[in-house]
Amino acid sequence: MEVFSLALGAAGLPSVDFVRDLSAIAFSNSPALTTASALVAHLSIGVCWAIFYASFVWGRIKVRPLVQGLLFSLLPAALAILIVYPELALIRSASDTVTLDPASFLGTLSIPMAASLLVAHLLFGLTIGAIYRRPVGYAAGKKPSPPSRRRARSQHPPRREGSTGFMFATGIECSYPTIDHGRWRRDEMDSTSHYRLWQHDFELAREIGITHIRYGPPLHLIFEGPGRYDWSYIDPQMAELEALGPEPIIDLCHFGLPSWVGDFQNPEIADALADYAAAFAERFPWVRFYTPVNEMYVCARMSALDGLWNEQLRDDGAYARAAWNLANASIRMSDKILERRKDAVLVNSESGEFYQPCCPDEHVRAIADEANERRFLPLDLIFAHPLGGQMHDLLCAQGISKDDIGRLARRKVPRRSILGVDYYEWNERLIDSNGQALALGELFGWYVIASQYWDRYHRPMMHTETNKMDAAGAPRWLWRQWHNVQLLRKSGVPLVGFTWYSLTDQIDWSIAMSQAVGIVYPVGLFDLNREARTVGLAYKHLIDLYRDEPDYRDCKALKEIID
Amino acid sequence: MATFLSAHGYDPGPSQRPLAAGAISGLLATAPAVAILLWFGSLKVEAAILRLPTLLTLLCGWAAMAVAGALYARLFGRAANNVRGGWLFGMAFGFALWAGGAVLVLPLASGGRAPAGAAAFGVALSMLAWGLAIGLLLPFVHRPLHESLETGSHHPEVGPDAAAGKDHPIRETRQEKRG
Repeated sequence: MEVFSLALGAAGLPSVDFVRDLSAIAFSNSPALTTASALVAHLSIGVCWAIFYASFVWGRIKVRPLVQGLLFSLLPAALAILIVYPELALIRSASDTVTLDPASFLGTLSIPMAASLLVAHLLFGLTIGAIYRRPVGYAAGKKPSPPSRRRARSQHPPRREGSTGFMFATGIECSYPTIDHGRWRRDEMDSTSHYRLWQHDFELAREIGITHIRYGPPLHLIFEGPGRYDWSYIDPQMAELEALGPEPIIDLCHFGLPSWVGDFQNPEIADALADYAAAFAERFPWVRFYTPVNEMYVCARMSALDGLWNEQLRDDGAYARAAWNLANASIRMSDKILERRKDAVLVNSESGEFYQPCCPDEHVRAIADEANERRFLPLDLIFAHPLGGQMHDLLCAQGISKDDIGRLARRKVPRRSILGVDYYEWNERLIDSNGQALALGELFGWYVIASQYWDRYHRPMMHTETNKMDAAGAPRWLWRQWHNVQLLRKSGVPLVGFTWYSLTDQIDWSIAMSQAVGIVYPVGLFDLNREARTVGLAYKHLIDLYRDEPDYRDCKALKEIID
Repeated sequence: MATFLSAHGYDPGPSQRPLAAGAISGLLATAPAVAILLWFGSLKVEAAILRLPTLLTLLCGWAAMAVAGALYARLFGRAANNVRGGWLFGMAFGFALWAGGAVLVLPLASGGRAPAGAAAFGVALSMLAWGLAIGLLLPFVHRPLHESLETGSHHPEVGPDAAAGKDHPIRETRQEKRG
């Protein structure tokens, strides 16, 4: 911008040079000093505008970054032309007061000079549009700063081991898939500042009364290669959780893999992740609750069917391979964990989904049936449930033998396995007359959808995730989900816990983290300043109300698992 | 900007006190702004333009900046509590106040008379300094004013009645009566 102004001036064309104008009002006799001060002042203003762009404008206009920058620059240009330049003219005046009218105020700037000012600002906008493109995440293979050190300052009583009370849980959002075909790493713990504020986050969880926290150490940062682990990314947090709680439910694989492992199409992920699970269980033998792989269906769908994460493929076969590999990984990890801790509890968390055909059209029904079969595939594999015909054929078509499928179907599922069913307002979908899936909102509700999973697997259950994007409506959603949980318990289903996910707001989940935009997703119990949201207060109210009720203080279903 | 602020949530929540925090921060942030006004002789010039004694101008200005502080905290909501970004939000608001108040409203209120020279520079700088100060101060001023989680969680709007979305039955009853 400055170069453009100088070039215009050198060419004898009308131009506005703010540095020269600012120099004229500086109060020093040294021309070099005044020019330098004016340059710094103008540069600072430019930096402020750039930060303003990043905070308020970037990602809000759905156009290319260059165009975003260009459109944004119209704002500082308008202010420069209408306010700042006329004011600078006033400031250069020798008197203390002037009498103004709009014409004389704006008349200080000729049309050609205003045009040059506009063009200079457009250049500024183009530059920041070109530079500011991916504010969250980092290049795959790079590492963010390790977590801050643990400070000994908490007055909280020590963690209670072996509690059989109902699990009032939350989670730290920890997704770490890659986008841009493996080149860019999303890391929610980094984006939400958890690596910096982890100790405060745990304190807030305890303050609300959270008994269990779903926590996913960053696999991609810890697992550096075969037999190589960088535990510095998790040691301080684990020391705090061990000492003070909440009781962690350790989530070993959450939507991503270390770059050296490849993606979910790689059949060797089962071996690699089993080694990681074994190493983790050895390092932290006090951990009892594990989610070996989080939401296998969602992970396989987003990576291999919707083309958004990791391998970014879009076909049924790729989905089946990813689901198979994930399920095998989950089983191998569970076995390794159980070798090291026989009484480990496995919380197999999965997204509770349902597809409803819009009409009696055969084609529409077939799509809905296939989608409903597909949602169960990973859980069918880990819980040794017979596969639906279409999914069985799909696996065989990928070269997976009937013997291998049969081996999983004959497997003895570990006794201490909990089925976690997550639920959001987009989990129920309508297959419309064009065969497209549309989010239905809460049509049948968690009670009905979770019942389908109970009827299929007959495992102790937990509501392992929910939230609401509308922060104002979140308390209502929380209490309604809670009533669903109560009703399912009352109907005789062994239900051991409930989870509001997550402790803090998240980043970019409104676009499924498919781009690195940095939009705040206001679903947390606390916002990113770590100030309580209304739903955080509501959850505390709920926990205070129920935790000492006999049914919840001593949860029979959890006791049967723990004992 | 609206999207950004709504992401933080306009509604600061029942345990927060944005108006009080904003007014106190506005008062505190006026101290450096006044120092700048005095340094550049802007206060006397403004008093002359408004035809008020300097002390009264100062007191009126101080009161106005307390109101502006409350407005800032309410308008920016949770974003104003941001320790890292507050300085910029505050400066943006200070700039808007300068552009709207000192550049547009003051001349209109005084028959076209406006500060010029060093006095005008002082006014602009003081408003930016005020914005910077309130942006930096507000998160720290607000924190001790927060209601605790313990008492905040007992507000009726976060209790079990929230499940029904308490507006809905009332609205339906009113519609029935109208019918």
